[in-house]
Amino acid sequence: MGAELLLPLTVAIAAVGSGLGLGKAVGMAMEAMGRQPEAAGKIQTGMIIGAAFIEALTIYALVAVILLK
Amino acid sequence: MIEKLVLVINNALTQTQEHAHDVTEHITDTALVATDHAADTLHAVAGHAVDTLHAVAGHAGEAAGHGGGHAPELPNWLELAHILFPSSITDWLMVWHVPIFSAVVILFLSFFCIKVYRKRTLIPGKLQNFLEFIVEALSNLIVGILGEHGRKYVPFLGTLFVYIFVMNVMGLFPGMFSSTSKLNTTLALAICVFLYVQLEGIKAQGLWGYIFHFMGSPKSAVEWCLVPLNFPLHIIGELAKPISLSLRLFGNISGEDMLLAIFVGLGILMTSAFHPPAWLPGIPLHVPFIFLALLTSFVQALVFTLLSTIYFSLMTHHEEEEHH
Repeated sequence: MGAELLLPLTVAIAAVGSGLGLGKAVGMAMEAMGRQPEAAGKIQTGMIIGAAFIEALTIYALVAVILLK
Repeated sequence: MIEKLVLVINNALTQTQEHAHDVTEHITDTALVATDHAADTLHAVAGHAVDTLHAVAGHAGEAAGHGGGHAPELPNWLELAHILFPSSITDWLMVWHVPIFSAVVILFLSFFCIKVYRKRTLIPGKLQNFLEFIVEALSNLIVGILGEHGRKYVPFLGTLFVYIFVMNVMGLFPGMFSSTSKLNTTLALAICVFLYVQLEGIKAQGLWGYIFHFMGSPKSAVEWCLVPLNFPLHIIGELAKPISLSLRLFGNISGEDMLLAIFVGLGILMTSAFHPPAWLPGIPLHVPFIFLALLTSFVQALVFTLLSTIYFSLMTHHEEEEHH
C-alpha cells in the first residue's frame, strides 16, 4: 500500500469522476441539440466550456501526482 | 522526430568520415610519420563525432524512455546544441529555453502579420484572406459572448488564442518545444488575464461598485450580515480563476508532450534489441497521438480564450444592467 500504488490510483479515481460528469454533460448537450438543431452552435460552445471545466479537475489531480512523484 | 534528426546528423557525419578518409589517404602518399599523426587525429575526430551521435540518440532515448523523477520530454534544438557544442552560451540558452521558444513564436507571428499588413489590399490575396478569416471568426466569437461593447477586448483575447494555439502546436514539430508545457508561461498568461479583468472591473463599476460586487451585492439586512462570509468566498473564487486557467493549460499540454515522449521512447525501446541501423532507430508508434495532441492544443487554446471572455463578461455585465 505504498506511494507507488496510491498515487496513480488517485488519478484513476479522478478520471472516473470526470468520466461520469463529462458523459452526463455531453449527453444532455446532444439531447438539447437534437431538440433544437438551429441552436446547435451555441449549445456546442457551451458544451466545450463545460467539458473543459470538468476535465480540469482530473488535470489538477494529475498535476498533484506529478509534483509528488 | 528523432529519426529525422538522427538521419540528418548521420548524413553530415558520414560525409565528414568520407572526407577524413580521403584526406588520410592523400597524406599517406607523402610522409610516413606525418601520416600516422594525421590519421590518429582524424580518427579521433570521427570517433568523437560518432560518439556524439550515439550520445544524442542515447539522450533522446533516455529523456523519452524512463520517467524516473524527471518528466520525460523530447529533446529540442537548444538541447542538441548544448550536447554538440558545450559552452557557456549553450548553457545560458538551456537555462532560458522556455522564454526563448516563446520569443520565437512571438517573432514568427509578428513577422507574418506585419508582412501581410504592409501589403494589404481591398480585395485580399490568399494570405490576407486567411488572416481575415481568423480575425473575423475570433471577433464573432468574442462579440457573441460580450456584446457589442466587447469589441475593444477582441485584440487582447484574439491574440491570446492565436499565441497559445501556435505555442501549443509548436511542440509537435521535430526539435521544437512548446513553452506552454511549463507552468511559468501559463501562469504568466493567466496573471495577465486576471489583472486585466480586475482593472476592467474597477473601470466598469467604479471602486465602490467593485468592492460591492465582492461583498455579494447585498441588498437587504440579511445579506449585509452575510458580508463577512461572502467577502473571503468571493476573493478565493477570484483567485481560483487564474490558478485554474494556468493549471488546466499547463497540465493538458505537458501531459500531451509527455505522452508523445513516452511513446517515442517505447518505439525506440521495441527495436533496440535487434540493433537497428542508425538511420531507423525505432517504430514511430507516437503518430496517432500527434493527432490527439493537435486536437488538445486547439481545444485548450479555445477554452483559455473563452474562459477569459466569460470572466470579462462576469466583471463588466453590471454595466449592461444599467442600460436595460
